[in-house]
Order: sequence, then structure tokens, then C-alpha cells
Amino acid sequence: MLILTRKVNEEIMISTNLPAGQGGITIKILSATSGSGGLVKLGIEAPAGVQILRSEVYEKIIQSTLDATAQSKIKIKDISALKLNKIERGDGRS
Amino acid sequence: MKIETIQFGEVEFDPEQTINFSSGIFGFDNLKSYLLIKTDDDLFYSLNSVDKPELAFPIVGIRVIDENYPSEAGHEAFAIVTLNSDPLKITANLKAPVYINQEQKSGFQKVIDSDKYPVNFNLFSATDVSTNETDPLNTGTDRMG
Repeated sequence: MLILTRKVNEEIMISTNLPAGQGGITIKILSATSGSGGLVKLGIEAPAGVQILRSEVYEKIIQSTLDATAQSKIKIKDISALKLNKIERGDGRS
Repeated sequence: MKIETIQFGEVEFDPEQTINFSSGIFGFDNLKSYLLIKTDDDLFYSLNSVDKPELAFPIVGIRVIDENYPSEAGHEAFAIVTLNSDPLKITANLKAPVYINQEQKSGFQKVIDSDKYPVNFNLFSATDVSTNETDPLNTGTDRMG
């Protein structure tokens, strides 16, 4: 793992030295709070199509997919008496 | 071409019917080729790997759950479903949808980073009224269009 130390407002460029508009990725340290529970705010510029994810979100998705494959052999019991849940427009319900 | 699937037994298909996922699916990045198989009920499909036929994901079309789901031109949005012997515990992953372009036979998976769409969305609830709402594909025509 490459370890760099940056100050707030400094930047890192990844995958060529091109700016984001030309295929590179730029990360800027926007703010940082100190201490072991400290938070770092990062600003990231990347080309469209580059997916930027918090790692724990990615891990949760992978686990969900693994569960889905493990359970895929289950025969679905009769669902005709059940109601399909829907997401309604913009009211934050369900 | 033939593969032996777990759900449907031996399936024969034309290689041109396969859907190409150039980036694979999260967790299975090296598997790029899938068959989209319709199941007996009208709700679920099976996305079955061609290269590893024992690998299959049940998927559901997201449009019946959310008409306003983020769309991708030419593609239909599907959610990977985690089945359960208790149907009330069946969940769909609305956070990492699979988009499939059936005409071009291509697909990709993407993450929707919004709190509105969870990884584990419960697909079904018991009907509280035992009369009308027994059709899971009820499109809710009482809503404003």
C-alpha cells in the first residue's frame, strides 16, 4: 500500500498525471479532524464510469450476492396471496 | 450449446443469446457470460452463469417495485434476490442493480449510493385485507399517474 501524508487542501492524482477530464483521478483532502475517531473529508474527481464506493458498502453488496447464490436453490413457496412491496414516489415511506 | 443448471436441469441455447457482462458482477468479476432465463412465475428470472453453470442468481425486474428507479438507456433494471423459505423474508438488492440490454445482449452492475435503496429490500408483505390485493403484480392504479 502506498502511504502518503497530506495536509488539508492538498491533492493526490491517480492513474496518470492527467486531470479527471482526461481520464485521471484526483483526491483532495478537504478537512480533517484529529484524534483516533477523527474524520477526513475527501473530494474525489474521476471520469464518469469510475465507481467510487465506501468499502463497507461494497463488502455488504458482495455478501448479499453470495447469500443470494447460496439461497438460489430454494423453491419459492406460494406467493400469490402476498403483496409486492413498492417504493412510492418521494415520500420516504417503506 | 448446453449447460447443466441446478434450477432447470439441462438447458440448450444459442450462444448468441448469452448476455455479456464485460465487468462481471461484484464478487464474480471473472464471470462475464450469463443466460437470462424466465421462470414459471411472472416475477422472477434466473441469471445463470454459462462458464460456471451451478452459479445462478434469482433476479426481479425493479420497475414493478419502483417506477422511478434510476434508469439506464436501453437497459432494464433488475435486482438480485435472496430467496428464503419464508416468502416474507425474501429480499432484493436495490442498491446494486443489474442493468441488462436484451437487444444488445449486454449487462453491467452498478451501485446506487442513495439511502432510498437498501441492499436488503423486503419484497413481500402479508396482505392486510383478504380480498382484492392478492395479485403481486398489481400495478396500483389508484395512484396518480
